[in-house]
Amino acid sequence: MFTIRRMINTAIGVAIAGMALLIHTPATAMDGNELLRQVDANMQPQSYEMYRKLINIEPDGTKKEFVLYTVKKGQDKMVALFLSPASEKGRATLRLGDNMWLYIPNVGKPIRITSLQSVVGGVFNNSDILRLDYSLEYDAVSMQEGEKSYELELKAKNSAVAYDRLKMKIDKATVQPMIIECYAASGMLIKTLHYSKIKDFGDGIKRPSMLETDSPLHKGYRSVMLFAKVTKKEFPDEVFTLNYLSKVDTLR
Amino acid sequence: MKFLPSTICPKLTPCGSLLLNRFATLSFCLSLLLVSPYLLRADEFTFDLDEIEKSPFESGGFIELQWEHMDINEDSLFGSLSLRESPGSSYDRLKGSFQFDGSYSKELYSAHWLLKMSMLKDDFGYYDSVDLFTAYVNFQPLPAATLAVGKKPYKWGKGYAWNPVGYINRRKDPNNPEESLEGYITAEADFIRSFTGKLQTAALTAVFLPVYDSINDDFGREQDSNFGAKLYFLFMDTDVDFLALLGESKPDSYGFDFAKNISSNFEVHGELSWVDDGRKIVLADDGNLHTVEEDTLSWLLGIRYLTPFDLTAIVEYYHNGLGYSKSEMDTFFQFTQDASVLFQQTASRLLYDRAVDASLKGYGKPQPGRDYLYARFSQKEPFDILYFTPSLTTIINLSDKSFSITPELNYTGITNWELKLRLSYLHGGSFTEYGEKQNSVKYEIRLRYYF
Repeated sequence: MFTIRRMINTAIGVAIAGMALLIHTPATAMDGNELLRQVDANMQPQSYEMYRKLINIEPDGTKKEFVLYTVKKGQDKMVALFLSPASEKGRATLRLGDNMWLYIPNVGKPIRITSLQSVVGGVFNNSDILRLDYSLEYDAVSMQEGEKSYELELKAKNSAVAYDRLKMKIDKATVQPMIIECYAASGMLIKTLHYSKIKDFGDGIKRPSMLETDSPLHKGYRSVMLFAKVTKKEFPDEVFTLNYLSKVDTLR
Repeated sequence: MKFLPSTICPKLTPCGSLLLNRFATLSFCLSLLLVSPYLLRADEFTFDLDEIEKSPFESGGFIELQWEHMDINEDSLFGSLSLRESPGSSYDRLKGSFQFDGSYSKELYSAHWLLKMSMLKDDFGYYDSVDLFTAYVNFQPLPAATLAVGKKPYKWGKGYAWNPVGYINRRKDPNNPEESLEGYITAEADFIRSFTGKLQTAALTAVFLPVYDSINDDFGREQDSNFGAKLYFLFMDTDVDFLALLGESKPDSYGFDFAKNISSNFEVHGELSWVDDGRKIVLADDGNLHTVEEDTLSWLLGIRYLTPFDLTAIVEYYHNGLGYSKSEMDTFFQFTQDASVLFQQTASRLLYDRAVDASLKGYGKPQPGRDYLYARFSQKEPFDILYFTPSLTTIINLSDKSFSITPELNYTGITNWELKLRLSYLHGGSFTEYGEKQNSVKYEIRLRYYF
């Protein structure tokens, strides 16, 4: 009798624990996803233009710099035009959701590229340069709350996303990412992104103005992205098409 | 007020104060040493807004120096046609190029140009040329509509090496597909429309291409008007184009192409082209050249794949319906061989000149056959050498199994400089395309400076 009662108690305990777990998981995921949407909203407006400088630094300190003009609309439309150096000037990359293209003036036609390739060399790949909203590409699978930060674990929504998993450390005060670790499906750490130097760009846009990345796959190499003139601006949808890639400079 | 350890802690003896002072100084120096990389890093990167200021006048270009050494296949049939007057086992070529391109924009208008100058010196002489590859004016009254008039190059199609649907393209060199090409004088209208849903974009490009005395006279038959159109859709994340060329200068042609990213590292693309009464010059057994007209289908299927270790592979299969069959090529090779022997024995140029004519009109053009395989493998930054890309390109004539193989080293590590080293090796038996080419091996060094 005692044994049966104990078994029933155990079963009830397990059931309650299981239910609690079931209830807890979606609640955490929902909170995590809400937090992720807030991160996206704090990082950039829905439609804007900005200038970026990409700097690749080699172990001996040698640097190579690229300057890009970038416009973005909504969650999944983005185009970037290379302004310098002269060897890259006029190149433009377009991203529409999972689709990416590269336009080279001499070639004269856009060619499809993949998110894992890099049009600039160094540690940044195409998906870093044409990054869409995190909440569009990732689901939160867990969230931990610390004293000064949140830690989110994110899983890619599909195989077309460049990194299978992200671990994102978010500053509680600004609700903006501080450190993001990017992992492949195999669990291998591909790179780490460090956001810093929060700057007020005006019109309510206050966000990090520097992104630094390193990778265990490229030991000693670093890449840095500096942000300038992040400005709210509306663009017609037609700007984000292949036929417009040769004319992006007219938007500046 | 000066803070000394004794001020902070009056009970300390002078000796203790001295020790603490030294410790404080040492600690300060150590902490500076530790912090200095971060202090330096904080000021390490600057972004001057002058760098992004826009000017209505934009210009650029490059200066290039290129040296080539070619080993001659002295027994080859194409060699016997092109180097009959000055045979040799090898020759060198030095080439200098200057490209100046730019644009001027004002309100809704913009003007664009690209000028190319070349100087070439080889064992046979000196040649130079100045060509205006591009010169057109754009009028863009709306973001979705653009009108253009002038000389403009077209690059229709999705293939890297070949474009069977490139009806108004200039022929590109599969070994240098990124080089600028000369345009045609056209009038063009371009309209774009974006949508939400499975169909994301639709765009129409309509082109009027006239052929008169000195306008586009190398396009086709003269005194004619031609109309080209390309209708583009981005449908379900797939690029799709429907293309057509109608007019008298060339046969009416209709085509279709597509490209799609299957995953984050895998892309597929293809082209299909139908030409009504496609024309080609064929050498008959009697040694006469005939124009043959027949409906032809050409197509291309390709992939682009990125491996986990950053090797990009581009592979394309190309069927050229207007290409020469193996037996047609054999007829040409046999005729050329007979003509060369006759020329050597009797100095009679009649058949020899006819063979030269056949070569110029089709048989001697790059990739004149029907079925080809193109493959290019490039490794991104091996051994952690940034901006260094070794690659290997091969073109195989599937009908006669001859091929070219081209290893290449490319370095762009110094801002605005590009260094390219390339070796091309051709292989094939007698009466095969690459076995009968004039060169057997070509070495190439190219140094380019962008400004």
